Amino acid sequence: MHVIVATDGSRQSLAAARQLKAFADPAKITDVSVVAVVRPLASVAFADDLAEGKLDGSFRDAARSAVDTIAAVYDGWGPKVHKRIRSGSAANEIIKAAKQYDAGLVVVAAGGRGLSDSVLVGSTAQRVQHYAPCPVLVVRPAPRSKK
Amino acid sequence: MADSATVPRPDQDDSELKRSITGRLLFFYTLGDVLGSGIYVLIGLVAAAVGGAFWIAFALGVTVAAITGAAYAELVTKYPQAAGASLYVNKAFGNRPLTFLVTVSFLAASMAASGSLAVGFASYFETLWSAPPALLVSLVFVALLVVVNFVGITESVWMNMLMTFVEVAGLLIVLIIGIVHIAQGGADFGVLTRIDTSGDYGSPALAVLAGIAFSFFAMTGFENTANVAEETIDPYKAFPRSLVGGMVVAGVVYVLVSMAAALTVPTETLATSDAALLEVVKQGILPFSTELMTTLFSVIALIAITNTTLVTVVTQPRVLYGMAREDVVPGVFATIHPVRRSPWVGLIFSGAVVASLLVIGTLVTEAGGGIDLVGRLATVTVVLLLAIYAIVIVACLKLRGQDEDHPFFRANTPLLFVGLLGNLAILYFTIYDDPYSLIWCAGLLGVGLVLFLAEYFFGSRGTGAKTPDLTEV
Repeated sequence: MHVIVATDGSRQSLAAARQLKAFADPAKITDVSVVAVVRPLASVAFADDLAEGKLDGSFRDAARSAVDTIAAVYDGWGPKVHKRIRSGSAANEIIKAAKQYDAGLVVVAAGGRGLSDSVLVGSTAQRVQHYAPCPVLVVRPAPRSKK
Repeated sequence: MADSATVPRPDQDDSELKRSITGRLLFFYTLGDVLGSGIYVLIGLVAAAVGGAFWIAFALGVTVAAITGAAYAELVTKYPQAAGASLYVNKAFGNRPLTFLVTVSFLAASMAASGSLAVGFASYFETLWSAPPALLVSLVFVALLVVVNFVGITESVWMNMLMTFVEVAGLLIVLIIGIVHIAQGGADFGVLTRIDTSGDYGSPALAVLAGIAFSFFAMTGFENTANVAEETIDPYKAFPRSLVGGMVVAGVVYVLVSMAAALTVPTETLATSDAALLEVVKQGILPFSTELMTTLFSVIALIAITNTTLVTVVTQPRVLYGMAREDVVPGVFATIHPVRRSPWVGLIFSGAVVASLLVIGTLVTEAGGGIDLVGRLATVTVVLLLAIYAIVIVACLKLRGQDEDHPFFRANTPLLFVGLLGNLAILYFTIYDDPYSLIWCAGLLGVGLVLFLAEYFFGSRGTGAKTPDLTEV
């Protein structure tokens, strides 16, 4: 099975990547594709919260660094890990990637806690859930009280 | 925002790097960015300065801008990152204060442009619904754009293209009216050579130079294409063609629209109108109801202005984000919203600065400052951008022979010198004509200085690029 792990450079996406590793059976997964989507017309095309370092004007480098961090989670786990950076609208590109690689599962993070998620419809995770051609694992943040 | 433009490549290897901006999209991005800013807003001012022959001002202005665009195309193909002018100046001179000044000037220019466009938006809006005060309309407009940017609707390339088509359609209406007017035999071509020397500018050359200075705001915007440099497919081919090509097409459209406006409407009417292109439609030359055409045209103008303003509103938080990551402004500007992935602090801050510009400008005007707010803010933008353009051309020349290991577009050197001279001449005239604009420039640059001092005294190094505790997640 080919699993797509999406990252937007957020720490929640790292948590999602770890969540997959925590329960999935590596013997049943042949490939993991770590996908980051750069959004060319956004104010910040890609923000990497996962690494230290300066932006240096390159959002591609930020995306590359985030993909590297997520891919490192699966080091020595078993499945073949692919690093992929795409460009365009985040949800669309994740769904397209899922179709293109014939994915069996898409892993996405849902960043919001409550209000921001319900007030603003149309977040990436929501759209992926609705339109992905395969099952979707949405990893939500732990409730604040538990932390 | 349902759109996507990744072009699939056959290679299916381990690392996949896809880009999504094609040459065609880049062309429309340039065109939309340039066309919206100004012609709808400023044509009256230019007509007032030059007289019937004001198309000459547009032709000369766009030439200088297109040459500057060629310098940008050379630098973008050499350094395809989103940072634009700041990056080129840093590469060429390696002087941190200069880089900071250029970055802040660019930010200030972008904010003044948003302000000018917002006032222009209010002028056209007034023709549809005149009840709300102009200041309120422009403030709501800016606030809406901030929200739209936060939510991410601005990211749709197809939406951008659609709005550009609408923009071009609006100008086509003006052209068609001009052609019909000529066909009906009502046109007096003599007006196209008439330069008004009775006003403030005694000689034809000065009048034209004034026209160029006023019209130059309409030429700006192309520098924002550096935003998408990194995501452009085959930039070496796409940039020169799309950027310079976009400018040339914009130039042709400007000249034709100016001629059409001059032939159909008395120059004095254009000169005194806040929404000058609307006067062309109001002449009732086309066999449709004038009221219907006026409404349609106003809506088109509003969309055109919105398209261009959106790009400026997207650019400002991006510049602030880059500076925060460089530790020259407080790290809070690098804050990214966890769900939307938007730099929301930078967005709100930019919106607030633009809003204060509008409020202060309106107060000054009402207190009898005797200024035209659209013109004043446009002049501020132009002064700052002309200085940046001149520096970028110098940087382009200075970086010759460096980083040339990969294919890049080489701009014609003599032309670059012509462009440099052109930029400096327009800059000199603009400041000479309106020295008070320097106060506004200084005020906006002061905002940058305050941010720098705030970071210098109260910020801690590394706040912009803090390392999260990875065990925590």
